[in-house]
Amino acid sequence: MGKKDDIKQLTNLISKSLRHKIGSIVNKDDFYASKYAKDADAIMKEAKRAASRQNWNNDDKLKIKQELKEKLFKELEEKEFLDDKKFDIMDEEMEKALLNLF
Amino acid sequence: MQLIFKKNISKGTRFNQIYIPKQLENEFEVGDEVEVKLIKKRVQLNYSKKLKLSEFKEDLIKNIFSFLSKSDRILNIFVVGSFLTEKIDYNDIDIVIVTKEKINNFDEIIYNKLIDKFNLKFHVLTIEEQRFEQLLKICPLTQSMFSLYISSKKTSLEREKVIDKNHIKFLLMMPEDLLELELGSKTFLDSVRRLITIERFLENKDLEKINIESEKLLGKEIYITMKNNERIDEKDIIKIREIIKDKLKKIKEMI
Repeated sequence: MGKKDDIKQLTNLISKSLRHKIGSIVNKDDFYASKYAKDADAIMKEAKRAASRQNWNNDDKLKIKQELKEKLFKELEEKEFLDDKKFDIMDEEMEKALLNLF
Repeated sequence: MQLIFKKNISKGTRFNQIYIPKQLENEFEVGDEVEVKLIKKRVQLNYSKKLKLSEFKEDLIKNIFSFLSKSDRILNIFVVGSFLTEKIDYNDIDIVIVTKEKINNFDEIIYNKLIDKFNLKFHVLTIEEQRFEQLLKICPLTQSMFSLYISSKKTSLEREKVIDKNHIKFLLMMPEDLLELELGSKTFLDSVRRLITIERFLENKDLEKINIESEKLLGKEIYITMKNNERIDEKDIIKIREIIKDKLKKIKEMI
């Protein structure tokens, strides 16, 4: 796969993983936080594998961030059953995930 | 000189009682004023259903309850999960603690205390009473988790079912994602189990036999492979995705 495809796959995975994480935060499901963290972690593990396939330069990272933001917004928008606070914490969770990934 | 004796409270016909030892009957006489102090709470195991545990497991649970009962912030303690159902093939000891109010980092505090005391693998979940009550009504996974338990205090967890569409939709996110994503086989198994639980919850069926139904649906060989998180063939993944798709469709029609 080329870099373009890898970015597509990577942002798909991160956006889904973050949707799980943000969902458990805004739905106040503390009781299941560790359970749902497992869902988010399982997907993030796959994202890490995808990320390790390339050497990313600063331009790539910027592109990943932009693409991720669009996808994550769409993911969260589609899940109307998640509390609207999801958009307030979206950027913060995205930053944390990218920092952890690269 | 202060006169002290220790006794257990015994059951009386009208009132529970404490007997004065024979050798002290002249020291503690009728009409004397005494003070009674609780030193150690008797630990009782309350079973949700008839269940046979080994003496070792029962003693361990008693010790855990006794150790945790020292905290007055805890209302009830539950042991759930595979520790009760599997003889040796359990992952960890699942402990659920119900508290009056939400306590920050209580899971972690209790987990560390248990590890230090017992040197065993625990999984601790804590939840405040009000949220617990709500989850017992709306959450299929919670109901399934508490289909079999041992608690420190006698309780009944039967609640009237309430269908919370948003909560169900939230639980369906992972199975939906697995229609596209390629993740470990254990993750697929967890999702199949989750779907069976939700389906049975909506159909008012009992939630005890989730594993049996999962094994029947997937086939013994694939079920064991997935349980061990081993790699499964592409053709099996296609079959599992079909199962997930069918269950999702059925559940969405019911909510």
